Amino acid sequence: MKKLILLIEDNEQNRYMETYLLEKEGYEVISAGDGHAGIQKAKERIPELILLDIQLPGMDGYEVARYIKNSPAMSKTPIVAITSYAMAGDRERALSSGCDGYMEKPINPDTFVQEIRKFIGN
Amino acid sequence: MLVTTILLALKLSGELRKKRTAEEKAMEMELAKAKAEQADRLKSAFLATMSHELRTPLNSIIGFSGILLKELPGKLNDEQKKQLNMIKTGANHLLSLINDILDISRIEAGQMEFSMEETDISGSIMRISEIIKPIAQSKGIALYVENCDWLPKIITDRRRFEQIIINIVNNAVKFTQKGEVRISAKIEQENVKISVKDTGIGIREGDIGKIFQPFTQIDTGTARNHEGTGLGLAISSKLAKLLGAEISVKSEYTKGSVFEISLPLKGKDEKTYTSYRG
Ligand SMILES: Nc1ncnc2c1ncn2[C@@H]1O[C@H](COP(=O)(O)OP(=O)(O)OP(=O)(O)O)[C@@H](O)[C@H]1O
Ligand SMILES: [Mg+2]
Repeated sequence: MKKLILLIEDNEQNRYMETYLLEKEGYEVISAGDGHAGIQKAKERIPELILLDIQLPGMDGYEVARYIKNSPAMSKTPIVAITSYAMAGDRERALSSGCDGYMEKPINPDTFVQEIRKFIGN
Repeated sequence: MLVTTILLALKLSGELRKKRTAEEKAMEMELAKAKAEQADRLKSAFLATMSHELRTPLNSIIGFSGILLKELPGKLNDEQKKQLNMIKTGANHLLSLINDILDISRIEAGQMEFSMEETDISGSIMRISEIIKPIAQSKGIALYVENCDWLPKIITDRRRFEQIIINIVNNAVKFTQKGEVRISAKIEQENVKISVKDTGIGIREGDIGKIFQPFTQIDTGTARNHEGTGLGLAISSKLAKLLGAEISVKSEYTKGSVFEISLPLKGKDEKTYTSYRG
């Protein structure tokens, strides 16, 4: 059984790229372009990991993380934040919103999947 | 009688005026404060937006050129590899430029945030020298690290501390055509002093003041033969200051330079914070 990853990211090219990298490594990926759609998809099929862009239209990534961590069915699902602010306070803010990990954009395609594996395994 | 009344009235109105101006002043100050706070918020929002808008397309460029170079979609011929590597190098250069410009803007807007933590500066120096060694070797320059493995842990922002050291060591290697670069450390008067000494092109006395200004590179007579933007030292010296450290330079033109970073053993308000804005 392939492990399921939910990717919430509003930029289409970035979504395609991250999906491509993960699928190449044998994960199953579903994706959403904003927070509401992301939460909806997570409820339909609880993924084993959520990759979460922080700068999203409408509901931002911090809110999405808080929502997921507060819903009993999904509170244990690990969330890895991906942000392009890359400011010192971001990491703390992501972690205090319930994210389990943090990654900065631009992501490095050589190490991206390796980083993800720390949270989900093969 | 009349005279005293008039005098009294004058005195009263004078006092009223004084009172009013004091109130007005307080109000003006309040307004100025609110304006400054709004300006700060705008600056923060601007920097965050810029960072996001620039990094998102770069994420695609760096990501897809990396994917292609890993040959995940299929085999490449040598020419394709060469050209993709050029895209990758260009994109990484653009990324470091964006990072530098954002850093300078953050510092100037008072929006630079620091995460202070106990930092193994010996480890940082070792790691950095391992990264830069191959660059030095490819130019035929030796990079020595002397007496740097015993330094005490210091409370500082590790990432920013490393940024300063990387800049200075990179410069030393970049502006040295032959000879060596030597990194050493000592403790003097409650400060750790890390010195980076090179046998490079040196800096004229009159130019030393200029090298810390943004976008300034010293004209070496010949056409620009050193890559860079002239932001490295401007950022490093400002970061150092905000971290309570100092950078000093001694140089002899055509002979070489010594850059010294002096860092207090006791970090700023050691007990009270893990993060602050400078
Ligand atoms: N070790 C050195 N020896 C001689 N000149 C130096 C040395 N370090 C810096 N300089 C001079 O100071 C200038 C400013 O240095 P700075 O690091 O700010 O910019 P840069 O290295 O040219 O570009 P950047 O760091 O943005 O890539 C350099 O262009 C160079 O002229
Ligand atoms: Mg430099």
